[in-house]
Amino acid sequence: MKYSSTNEKGHKLKVLDWMNHRKVFMVLFLCCIIQTISTKAFSQTTELSLNLKNVSVEQVLNQIEAKTTYRFLYNKNMVDVNHKVSIVCKKQNVSQTLDQIFKGLDIAYTINGKQIVLSKIEKRPVSNTTKKVNGTITDEKGEPIIGATVLVEGESAGTITDVNGKFALTVPSDSKIKISYIGFESKLVSVYNQNILNISLSESSKVLDELVVIGFGTQKKVNLTGSVASVNTKQLESRPVTNLSNALQGITPGLNITQSSGSLEGRPTVNIRGITTIGQGSSGSPLILIDGMEGDLNTVNPQDIDNISVLKDAAASSIYGSRAPFGVILITTRQGEAGKMKINYNGNCRMNEPLSLPKMMDSYTFVNYFNAAQRNVGKGDFFDAERVQRVKDFIDGKLGKNTDIVDPNNASYWGDGYSYGNDNIDWYRAIYKTSTPSQQHSLSTSGGTEKVNYYLSADYLNQEGLMKLNQDTYNSYSINAKVNAKLSKWASLAYTARFTREDYVKPTALSDNLYQHLGRQGWPTLPLYDPNGYLFSSPSPALALRDGGQTKTQTDWNYQQLNLTLEPLAGWKIFANLNYKIGDIFYHSEVLPTYQHDVNGDPFLSVQGYYLSSNSGVTERASRTNYFSPNIYTEYTKSMGKNNIKAMVGFQSEINKYRVFDANRVGVMVTSSTNLDLTSGTDYSGTTVAPSVNGSYTDWATQGVFGRLNYDYDGRYLVEADLRYDGTSRFRAANRWKYFPSASFGWNVSREKFWETIEPFVNTLKLRASYGDLGNQNTTSLYPTYVTMPVGISNGTWIINGARPNSSSSPALLSSTMTWERIKTYNVGVDLGLLDNRLTSSFDYYIRYTNDMIGPAPELPVTLGTTVPTTNNTDLKTKGFEFSLTWNDRLDNGLGYNVNFVLSDSKTEITRYPNPTGNLSTYYTGQQYGEIWGYTTIGIAKTQEEMDKHLATLENGGQNAVGSNWGAGDIMYKDVNKDGKIDNGSNTVGDHGDYTVIGNNQPRFNFGLNLSANWKNVDCSLFLQGVAKRDYWQGSSYFFGASGAGVWHAVALVQHKDYFRGDASDYLGLNLDSYYPRPLQGDERNIKPQTRYLQNAAYIRLKNLQLGYTIPANITQKVLIQKCRIYVSGENLLTCTKLSSLFDPETIDGGYSSNGNAYPLNKVYSVGASLTF
Amino acid sequence: MVGTIFLLSISSCSDDFLDRQPSSNITPENYLKQEADLVSYVVNLYSVFPTDNWNPWANDNNTDDLASSSYDNKYVPGQWKVGQTGGDWNFTNIYNCNYFLQTVLPRYHAGEITGDVESIKHDIGEMYLIRAYVYFTKLQALGDFPIIKTTLTDNKEILTEASKRAPQTDVAHFIIADLDSAIMMMKTNAPDGNRNRLSKSCAQLLKSRVALYEATWLKYFKGTAFVPNGPNWPGASKDYNKNYTFPQGTIDKEIEYFFTQAMDAAKAVADATPLVTNNMVIQQSTSDPVNPYCAMFGAVDMSPYSEILFWRRYDLALGICNNIAVEMGYANSGCGLTKGLVDCFLMKNGLPIYASGSGYAGDDSIQPIRKNRDGRLNLFLKQPGELNILYPSTAGTHATPIEPLPDILCKTGNSGYPTGYSTRKALNFDAALCGNGLGYSGEIVFLGTEAYLNYMEACYEKTGTLDADAQKYWRAIRVRANVDPDYQKTIDATDLSKEAAGDWGAYSGGALVDKTLYNIRRERRCELMCDGLRNMDLRRWRAMDQMINTPYHIEGFKLWGPMQYWYPASELTYGIGDKSRVSSPSLSHYLRPFEKTTTCLAYNGYKWAMAHYLNPIAIQHFLITSSDGKDITTSPIYQNPGWSTTANTAPTGY
Repeated sequence: MKYSSTNEKGHKLKVLDWMNHRKVFMVLFLCCIIQTISTKAFSQTTELSLNLKNVSVEQVLNQIEAKTTYRFLYNKNMVDVNHKVSIVCKKQNVSQTLDQIFKGLDIAYTINGKQIVLSKIEKRPVSNTTKKVNGTITDEKGEPIIGATVLVEGESAGTITDVNGKFALTVPSDSKIKISYIGFESKLVSVYNQNILNISLSESSKVLDELVVIGFGTQKKVNLTGSVASVNTKQLESRPVTNLSNALQGITPGLNITQSSGSLEGRPTVNIRGITTIGQGSSGSPLILIDGMEGDLNTVNPQDIDNISVLKDAAASSIYGSRAPFGVILITTRQGEAGKMKINYNGNCRMNEPLSLPKMMDSYTFVNYFNAAQRNVGKGDFFDAERVQRVKDFIDGKLGKNTDIVDPNNASYWGDGYSYGNDNIDWYRAIYKTSTPSQQHSLSTSGGTEKVNYYLSADYLNQEGLMKLNQDTYNSYSINAKVNAKLSKWASLAYTARFTREDYVKPTALSDNLYQHLGRQGWPTLPLYDPNGYLFSSPSPALALRDGGQTKTQTDWNYQQLNLTLEPLAGWKIFANLNYKIGDIFYHSEVLPTYQHDVNGDPFLSVQGYYLSSNSGVTERASRTNYFSPNIYTEYTKSMGKNNIKAMVGFQSEINKYRVFDANRVGVMVTSSTNLDLTSGTDYSGTTVAPSVNGSYTDWATQGVFGRLNYDYDGRYLVEADLRYDGTSRFRAANRWKYFPSASFGWNVSREKFWETIEPFVNTLKLRASYGDLGNQNTTSLYPTYVTMPVGISNGTWIINGARPNSSSSPALLSSTMTWERIKTYNVGVDLGLLDNRLTSSFDYYIRYTNDMIGPAPELPVTLGTTVPTTNNTDLKTKGFEFSLTWNDRLDNGLGYNVNFVLSDSKTEITRYPNPTGNLSTYYTGQQYGEIWGYTTIGIAKTQEEMDKHLATLENGGQNAVGSNWGAGDIMYKDVNKDGKIDNGSNTVGDHGDYTVIGNNQPRFNFGLNLSANWKNVDCSLFLQGVAKRDYWQGSSYFFGASGAGVWHAVALVQHKDYFRGDASDYLGLNLDSYYPRPLQGDERNIKPQTRYLQNAAYIRLKNLQLGYTIPANITQKVLIQKCRIYVSGENLLTCTKLSSLFDPETIDGGYSSNGNAYPLNKVYSVGASLTF
Repeated sequence: MVGTIFLLSISSCSDDFLDRQPSSNITPENYLKQEADLVSYVVNLYSVFPTDNWNPWANDNNTDDLASSSYDNKYVPGQWKVGQTGGDWNFTNIYNCNYFLQTVLPRYHAGEITGDVESIKHDIGEMYLIRAYVYFTKLQALGDFPIIKTTLTDNKEILTEASKRAPQTDVAHFIIADLDSAIMMMKTNAPDGNRNRLSKSCAQLLKSRVALYEATWLKYFKGTAFVPNGPNWPGASKDYNKNYTFPQGTIDKEIEYFFTQAMDAAKAVADATPLVTNNMVIQQSTSDPVNPYCAMFGAVDMSPYSEILFWRRYDLALGICNNIAVEMGYANSGCGLTKGLVDCFLMKNGLPIYASGSGYAGDDSIQPIRKNRDGRLNLFLKQPGELNILYPSTAGTHATPIEPLPDILCKTGNSGYPTGYSTRKALNFDAALCGNGLGYSGEIVFLGTEAYLNYMEACYEKTGTLDADAQKYWRAIRVRANVDPDYQKTIDATDLSKEAAGDWGAYSGGALVDKTLYNIRRERRCELMCDGLRNMDLRRWRAMDQMINTPYHIEGFKLWGPMQYWYPASELTYGIGDKSRVSSPSLSHYLRPFEKTTTCLAYNGYKWAMAHYLNPIAIQHFLITSSDGKDITTSPIYQNPGWSTTANTAPTGY
């Protein structure tokens, strides 16, 4: 067996077989491969017999390797192995044999265990003394670099390092040696009188020489003309996050990741460059390709990632045509490397804490607050004196465990919790845990020969949620296998198989509904337990959560890819990729009967009310996605002098078929075994209920051909042109096909002659420009041009003949002209590298037009009587920039440090929208996307006199349009348009009264700052992420408390306690300088959108802080570990924001009705280890 | 070479591959072609009928009959304002009806619909009825209203043209025509056999209601801007309505025409609808005989009751539930009967309570109020201590087995008993219906008894006398109500000035009506108590003018009599600002729910503005139909009398 690989500079590397030593670490899924290797290795001896005539040295070496366990390491550029030799020997040891072979040749050798390193003997004039130098070459982290070139400066004599990074070389004692290796900065070291040189190489910062993955190929970063960002995957390391999107947030400028809920199954939304479409009828998410096939970003094991490219402008993404008008994220996973087998293990254990959990008022404050809110609207006290006293007595411990009283109207039951309860519960703490553990483990291995190599990995994540009464959990598993085989000199084949599984389990009662009810009806007075100690339900969130059953979702994705590459002629390559994926989602949801207890402690069947359906039952749903996409493309590369041309054409098609069926039957017979067979089909009163059964099929397909032409002159002037012709099943034949052209240009200024003087300081300067015209076919409906009849089976709500009838209604109108949205993107950019490319920076400015967008329906007279059909009637323009700055350096004392700052911004304007009246409740032409209209607040009137004085200034109607009965504690609005009254006119652009634009809710200036440093074995990094500007109007009762909404929708959190109290006799005391106005249950006069309560939702968050220590290799190697890094890592540790403490800036618009009441995000503490064998 | 491959590739792209049709949806071409399809569409539109309320009496709230803890802005002139968007100017249900009719009728005439022809005709008839019902809600809310008989395309010009308001008489004629089509096509008996579907008599009943509505409206608003061609009628400001002529020639002929239509239709229903027996028993134990008249309003299965022409069934197993039983067993969902309504009921002997010799025992407590009274008050006024539940069940977590003292202080946190009075109408004695939101007693949509009353009123309004049928109907109702059937005795004993104190129906156009008419209206009020027609009646009778100048004080039970001792004196606080729990005895001996605190905008009593008889049209509708999106005068729509075309303004001058 031979393990070798060819690296960029043509080094041929032969690595000794180490497999036998590693046997003890083999994992099950590697067994087969290992077995073959080790058997062979053991069967060999060190005594050697050869009989070869006139063969090359290389062939001799191959023979020796075949017959012994020795392995040769050499650089073909240095050691001439093509020399013809002859050799005859019998049972000779290896050094004798080698002496014989190399006699007369300028090849020297060193035997080091089982490795034999060959080097060139420099024929030089006899000079000073020579000496033998030994050394070890490592990277910054102390890991040995294998195959690094070690040369005497100015000479061609040299060697390369072995698998342990060691070398031995005889050199003139006054010489310098140069050590170089691809991807690392070369180093020149004087020998002087040293015999042992331990040299550490730092990674090359000449990032512009990197290869970047682009659509259907790769491109040297220096030759890129489109806007392509390479994600710094180092920043993904050791992040204790649930999915990859979380880790990508804030790392790449222009790639916006927003996470508005911490719920376990919650997925952050991924977006490139801001508002893409209005999102009503079409969507504009980026295309996510994993090894060339569309996939789920969140199921990728971060350990498997080799690199991530983000294609941002049209020129970069147009090759993907209609699927990629709003950018592409290309994830390339690791693949096998020929050579020594490597095993990596990464694992960590975490502790999660809710980042912000609302805190409820205590019940005594609560009843007083509610009473004030009711009195202020003239409705008198809500809780009478007896109840208020009882609440107080309970808090004071005078009532023991009596959280409720017997229902005065029905002596066998406890009183309704809302009507009679006197408990003191913070429902958020009753429902959510304050901490919960999770863990993640990844294992990978790679190896193989130049002909066949492999990469295998497995990952396991176990995350527990915050549900206290009935644990929610999320488990994900993935297995990834890649095998590359070189079939012949001109053909190679790669096979990839990836399997991911997600298991999500939650209490059935955990839903958006829970989030809203928890706040609005989780009154602190509502008992958690009844006086006998049983869970109480009135209904309450608790009982349904604990006993109401679980919902389990299992999502499997099976990816299969076969890639054939042919190179019939030098420079001409043909690629054929067959991509197939199968997705299965199995969903099981059960509702179990729950029991309350009466006054005697006897159980009775409970009514679930808001939280669960009233009948127990089981729902099973299964769906399958079959996706197939063949890509065939060919490229041709040719250089003629300084002219370089690359051309590519190809064909791609996709077909996606989806089917689903589900069934539900009521009446769980055995609560411990919930499946459809064990449901009775009868409700709890014994009446038969027909099971519900549904199923459907949907599909979509696309097809396209594409071509790309690259031309550059001397790497200085770069041109790229793309064209794609695309069709989609979403539109009818007449509107189906479109051409999508794009072009981009680049000028590497720093390669010009005139730059030579500046080059030492400014190493890189490149200017770029691009334009592209793309189409978006991502209509929300898969069949937007087909009129369909809304027909429901057994879902009517008027019972006829004892059953729910079918229902049907008029079909929605459709626009007959529905067609492509056209996206035009202009992009200019500049790339800079300074100070030996230690400082690199990149800036892009773009304008993106989304034209003929499927907008929300235009307003029409309502005599139409039905929803106005959406059509391609809207344009928007998004402008923005992206900026990144990286400083990468290592000080002489060995301290390496890195600063990486990214900043991006986008601003969107609606440039066309059919809203003839300029109605402000929808979009209008000229609108800045996200603008917030509202009144200007003068303040809260502290006294009736102050209010009266204010109203007296408004002689044409005061604040009557907003409300009436104005008094102390109410808001004084400013008469912005000086018309003597406060109103918002007709609420139109032309007549908006005192309404003005008071803010904009779009997140602006997204930034990320990563600082990292390492010194010797210690490394640390700090990652900050944030939004520098964002206004938010949160007008819900989660913000305003018991104001605006009626009693059943009012919320009472501790922050709401700061409300206006003008009465000194109030138990909470006078509060004239309150933040909130006086509470007015069910009255909105004080909570109109206005400046006073506009939130500043800008924030900066310490997303990650980590500290790692790499145990010195000389210690770990004793237990056969090449490298061992242990680390602690924390996520979301600190947040700075001016936002009201009621909300988390990231989830302010999450949860039910975007009221910011979502499942909280987590603060995570993690301890982990990363091991390489 | 590259170009060649590119062209080859293009030619290989295939439209067959991309032709993908929805395989799991039905296209309109394939639906509404069988009788069953028609049923699914028609029944789905039953949603236009006002059911599914947790508070079944909500439709009579905010009248002189019922009051909750909050007042309605329409009684506080200045508070009811023109909206910016939305409102009654809405055509969604109309579109749904029109889509059905324009799709189904041609197929029906072409014989393309499979199924029993009579059933198909019935389904179509139901759709006519539904469209008529929807149009009738528009007629009541807005008066003049566009008549749209087909679905329209999404073209602004067409839709603007269609926004022209038809004078309300035309709307009424259009509704009558639809109902005539319905009557012609529908079956006499609802096809399901349980009257969960509509029948011919429903169409006839609705016809009598609409015709009576329009006739009385025209009669009482004649000479105002609220009728076509009246002085300052806003319709005259638009060319298309300027020279309007009534279909019958004159307004008086219109009035006569509609009264005649009302009588004819009402008679057809009344003669076919026998009244349910009333044995005057209020069941208080399982051994008491059931009183069908009492049980029918709260029955789970209403099909045995002849008076109920159309009702909605609920079913726990099917997940279609309401909360009626819970609310009936307690505080009527915070909606209390007023003193005015309670006082309106006659004595059993046919005399008003104030008449000499009436035998009225006073209202110091609830028990004497019911003594020797009209059987309906006796049956339906709840009294503390009576049983609400006779059949216990563990499902009845929210049952109130024994009627408590009325919680006028809202002690439980729920809305409580705002007036102190509550009703038993629609109570069911079975606690199994009293799960929270899990009740399943039926809900009445059309009650045949209304036809009796429609006939009496139309007959008297039209002719000034009661014909034999009218007399027959009136007597039948009084007999069933356990009241002396001699209505003349009542008329003779009536003192309108006393009635006017508690009954807005004593007035029309600010003047008291004659005693006979008043007693016809009284009968209607008592018989149809809480049935959801009071708001309509008061509007068509023009019975609120008197409140323009003279506020009306809504009152409940006599708190400041002996009943005050039902409550701890310390809790009956008044005159202490916003913490006052009850109204002051200096205002009235009776509880005044809106006069507890001076900050309540109805503290000084209900008032009225003329404009409030019709609802305003929201401003956005004018803007979108104007030529430039701004100039409201270019819109074909005109505002209702008194309302302005500026958003957020209250009516002026009316």
